[in-house]
Amino acid sequence: MKHYFRFILTGWVLLMAVGLFGQNPNELRLNEVLIINTEDFQDDFGVHSSWFEIFNTGYGTVDIGGCYLSNDPENLKKYTIPRADVQTKIKPRQHILFWADGKPQRGSFHVNFTLEDSQVLIFTSGDGTTVIDKVELPKDAEPNLSYGRVVDGEGSYGPHSDNEGWEFLPNTSPSTNNFSLDGKTRSESMKETDPHGWIMSVLAMSVVFLALVLLTYVFKGTGRIAINLTQKKADAFHKTKKVSMAEASGEIFAAIAMALHMYAKETEIHDIETTILTIEQVRKDYSPWSSKGQSMRRTPSVRKQ
Amino acid sequence: MDQIINNLQQFWEYTGFANTTFQHILMICIGIGFIAMGIIKEWEPLLLIPIGFGMIIGNIPLYAGLSVGIYEEGSVLNILHHGVQNGWYPPLIFLGIGAMTDFSSLISNPKLLLIGAAAQFGIFAAYAASLFLGFEPHAAGAIGIIGGADGPTAIFLSSRLAPDLLGAIAVSAYSYMALVPLIQPPIMKLFTTKKERLIRMKPARVVSRAEKVIFPIVGLLLTAFIVPSGLPLLGLLFFGNLLKESGVTRRLAETARGPLIDIVTILIGLTVGCSTQADKFLQVESVKIFALGAMSFIVATTAGVLFVKVMNLFLKPGNKINPLIGNSGVSAVPDSARVSELVGLQYDRTNHLLMHAMGPNVAGVIGSAVAAGILLGFLS
Repeated sequence: MKHYFRFILTGWVLLMAVGLFGQNPNELRLNEVLIINTEDFQDDFGVHSSWFEIFNTGYGTVDIGGCYLSNDPENLKKYTIPRADVQTKIKPRQHILFWADGKPQRGSFHVNFTLEDSQVLIFTSGDGTTVIDKVELPKDAEPNLSYGRVVDGEGSYGPHSDNEGWEFLPNTSPSTNNFSLDGKTRSESMKETDPHGWIMSVLAMSVVFLALVLLTYVFKGTGRIAINLTQKKADAFHKTKKVSMAEASGEIFAAIAMALHMYAKETEIHDIETTILTIEQVRKDYSPWSSKGQSMRRTPSVRKQ
Repeated sequence: MDQIINNLQQFWEYTGFANTTFQHILMICIGIGFIAMGIIKEWEPLLLIPIGFGMIIGNIPLYAGLSVGIYEEGSVLNILHHGVQNGWYPPLIFLGIGAMTDFSSLISNPKLLLIGAAAQFGIFAAYAASLFLGFEPHAAGAIGIIGGADGPTAIFLSSRLAPDLLGAIAVSAYSYMALVPLIQPPIMKLFTTKKERLIRMKPARVVSRAEKVIFPIVGLLLTAFIVPSGLPLLGLLFFGNLLKESGVTRRLAETARGPLIDIVTILIGLTVGCSTQADKFLQVESVKIFALGAMSFIVATTAGVLFVKVMNLFLKPGNKINPLIGNSGVSAVPDSARVSELVGLQYDRTNHLLMHAMGPNVAGVIGSAVAAGILLGFLS
């Protein structure tokens, strides 16, 4: 009982841990930074300011309220992202943009530092110590040229990130993907590559067969194991205790002989059989196999006139 | 007096009589036809009656702006239709199917799974034909799945790939499922010899409880790892089956195969019927979809029967499979298996094929869900 309780408790704790992990912002990444903004996008106040973008790489909404942003490794809690702001919830695979203008009074997304004189940008979780992501800001940044991950969320991350996957991007892309596909849907691409549907048909049928062939072999195997186990059980059930002739006493032989004699007398068993075996064909229209039919609907049939 | 006349005139404009069109009347007649087929012929009554009545509801001519139509945001019908549009209902139906399906015949003779795979040819033949008729690949995929003969799968896939064609695809799929007893027998007889129709199959062995419990778990792992996009359907199908076979969740299994599936069947049938609003449904595309649906059913049945004949070339004499169960690879459960039984009995009154046919039949459910996952993965 104690073991069961421990097992359940451990499972519960693990589940809770997984749940908490699923809700925390570990799947967020600093994604793009514009250090010098003179002609790029303006904020809501019509001002050109540095900005940076955070990307949610996960498939669940994450609330970053209570997390911290900083440009100072000695002070990770420099800017606290306000809690209870519905806009701090980042939807799956979406971005959020912060303006680094040093004017936090302008809203939740205006931090209290700027990037122009900064060397690093650090994103810290709500505990104030765990660095979720960090990026070393390039010293040679040109105006209006953003520095970001070539593919959203891809590359190194965490407290020891070495900016792997980061480059100066050809175009700034605040609040949107750094890397865009060619804009074609899968359906459109398929239309170009496989206009008649033959490749798709062959490929898909192969996958269907693969899945079901795998199932076939697995259940052939489990079937064999099950049959063997059943056979072993049956053998064990029918197994009789063997007694060696040397161990058997005269009383045992006498008892066996008496039993055989009485059995033969009562049933008039004789040694010569007629050797005629009659097999009569069993005719039955009803079979237990069809009993399932009772649970089905009536047979659809065309009414004869 | 003028006021009264004005009010009456306004009232008249609100009525269905003032807004009716020929298309509305036609769709209402089709709806009545569905109900008649369900009641008089007893062809898939659990589906044709809700769909037929839904067609009538969906085609009552409405004055725009009343917020009662199925395509009007916030109306009751619109809210119920979300289950179809967003693909919530089909996995729930699969949960119920899993909880009511006995996979024993499949477990005892796993090679029958391959017949379920072969019958999916219908899907991809219809896919290629749809492309030929000018449909976009995503729409072609949604149309092709009609050949899987699985209403919930067809609804699930078309809600993701081609929501505009959902009504036509769903009605087509269910119509042909209802017509399985008429479509399949001629094809089965055409492609089999009398000798083949008399083949007696080895009785299925008894399947242990452990095997039945292992089946949904292993089945899910194998299929969902290969085609993760089929997870909503495969996951709930196998989950329902585990509820049934575990033996310790009887109440849950009974709810899944009883009240739950009944409720969802009512909602899915009614809302699919309602979605056939004349202006959306009566299009040239719908006619093409019905033609493609018929073709996919014929190809699927043919592929299943021919595949069994090919399999028999490699099987020992005692292990031959009666090709009359090949049609059951299309997953119209249990009607296509029942067709196998009935056609088999026409040639030998003691040769019961029903339980043998249930194997490919449920394999067809798995196969069509896998096929839907593949199409979703490639085309969404």
